[in-house]
This record gives sequence, C-alpha cells and structure tokens, in this order.
Amino acid sequence: MSDQMPRNEIRESNWTPQERAEFTRRRRGRNLLLLAALGGFSLLIYAIAIVKLHEYGQMW
Amino acid sequence: MSDSTLSGGLGASTAADWFSLLKPRVMSLVVFTGAIGLIVAPTRINPVLSFTAILCIALAAGASGAINMWYDADIDAVMHRTASRPIPAGRITARDALGYGIVLSVISVLLMAMATNLLAAALLALSIFYYVFIYTMWLKRSTPQNIVIGGAAGAFPPVIGWAAATGQVSLLPVLLFAIVFFWTPSHFWSLALFASGDYERAGVPMLPVAKGPRHTRLNVMVYALVLLPIALSPYLFGLCGLVYGATALLLSLIYCYYCWRVLTDQQDQAGHSLTNNAPARAAFKFSILYLFILFGACAVDRFI
Repeated sequence: MSDQMPRNEIRESNWTPQERAEFTRRRRGRNLLLLAALGGFSLLIYAIAIVKLHEYGQMW
Repeated sequence: MSDSTLSGGLGASTAADWFSLLKPRVMSLVVFTGAIGLIVAPTRINPVLSFTAILCIALAAGASGAINMWYDADIDAVMHRTASRPIPAGRITARDALGYGIVLSVISVLLMAMATNLLAAALLALSIFYYVFIYTMWLKRSTPQNIVIGGAAGAFPPVIGWAAATGQVSLLPVLLFAIVFFWTPSHFWSLALFASGDYERAGVPMLPVAKGPRHTRLNVMVYALVLLPIALSPYLFGLCGLVYGATALLLSLIYCYYCWRVLTDQQDQAGHSLTNNAPARAAFKFSILYLFILFGACAVDRFI
C-alpha cells in the first residue's frame, strides 16, 4: 500500500529521487530501532514479571 | 547527501543520532560503576533484575544527557567539540530531544522501581534531577566550581547499584561515591585545560576560563592528592582486601605523577601550555583508565 500511496512528507516535498531515497533509508533505520526497543521492552517487562512472581510471589 | 538538505525535522535524523543523544561514552563509565556497585553488594539478586537495574542506570544517564543537550544546544553550537551533535547540527529538534529525555527518564525510574526497590528508584530519580537541574541548569553557567558540586551526579551509580541489590545504603557505596566525586574535578579540569578555548567561546565559566590555567593546574594536583586517601579508604576501613588496597595505592601514585606533570608543564607567564597541553591530555586519558581499574579491582577483591 505504501508503494501506491506515498506519505505526505515525501509527496509534498520537492526532493530529488536521491534525497527521497535517503529520507526513506533514514526513516527505516529509525523505525527498526524503535521496533527493537519496543520489542525488547515488552520482553523485559514479561521477564521481570515472571521472575518477581516466581521468586517473591508478588510484583511490588 | 548533506544533512542540511534534509534538515528541519525528523527527516534528517538517523538511528545513530538518537543513540548519540544519550552520550554513550559517558554512559559506559556510569554503567560500569553502577554494575560494580551491584556486584560488590553482599546480596545477590536474580540476573534478570540485575540486568534491568543496570539498564535503568544506563537509560537514566542517557536521558539526562539528552536533556542536557536540549538545554545546552546554544553553547554546543559554538564549541568545536560539540558543534556536530544532532541538535546544533539541525538533525534533531531541541523539542524532540527534550521529549525523548523526559520519556526515557520516567521509564528508567518506573522500571527500576518495578524490578528492584523504591530506594534504588528514588536515588535514580535524584541523580537525574541533580544532573539536569543542579548541574546543567544552575551550576554549569554560573560558577567555576560547577563540576566539583555537579560531579555528585556522576557519582550516584555505584550507590544506586548497591541499593538495587540490597535495598539499603551502607559505608562502601558511600566511599565509592566519594571516590568518583573527588576524581571528577581533576579528570574534567584536565580536559578543560586543552578545551578551554571552546568553553571561553561559549561563555561557560570553567576553571581555566574563570581563574586561568595556572590556577587550574594547581587544582588538578590538589584534587589528585585528596583523591589518594579516599581511594584507599575502602581498604583502610576493612571493606576491601589487599588486592584493592595495593591497586588503589599504585594507581593513585601514578595518577598523582600524571597530575604533577600537568602542574609542571612548560608554560608561559599566564600558565598557557607550550607543549600543546600534552600532560593534560595524558592525565585525562589516564584518569579514565584509573577509575575503570580501581573499580574493577574492588569487584575482583570481593571474589578473592
């Protein structure tokens, strides 16, 4: 879907194709970092909950 | 592709820029001293909780760094050493950096409270508060003693690590706090001696700018001498063994020698170096090694 409907910031700019490609590359990098951070955070919360409930019988 | 082409918002930033907002080099030292606090504590906690505590210390240090970069964007822009940071270079807006720092601060404190205990979380929150409000916003631009008092912010991690493991604070983490506290002035002023042009341009009253390099050299030496008995104190109080004591004595004597070379560097009447501040650069590099080895010895000593 994103191929047919480019996002506003790309469509409305007057960047060259190289600039647009660079923008897309940087955005993908940021999004992947955010995905990794959120995934890691979720796993960490899960692991903490398991450990605390197993070892202490309570979260707080 | 020049960054200026894509400047003016999110389009210019890379993942590396967001990571660099966390001041990773400062973070590494903070993480290390925090981990040592956790390791030397007499109580063992689950590795998952230990990892989380260290992660929280790292996140809090990084968040403080991001907020510091937001507040200091104006002076970073005129200093050569910091002009290429993401905010002055226009790759990340100051407002985005502030939001990033606040969110990470809140997450780090809440996560610490959830994984360990309220004391560790409170100390972590205090360290963020101290770095942001006491050092960055108040002291840094108002007094040449900025890094002496502000150095406390960087000294918190071993206490936080200890508190995360034990739920309390005792003498050893306080001594580790004191070591980092009294190490900071000579470490930072060695840097300031060869970066004083930057600070002068930015109007930051670092000691070499406010009192001159000669006065700064003397203070570097004095703080190195003050640090020696404090570095030895965990051994003298019987909290660490001979391995730590011998390491602390040897390292501190070597550090005093480096600082002595800073004091006696070839200089003009005003105290400006005629050797491109080679002794100050060497003392700065050794000061980092000093802290790593000293804290490392403290951990090794606990396992012997």
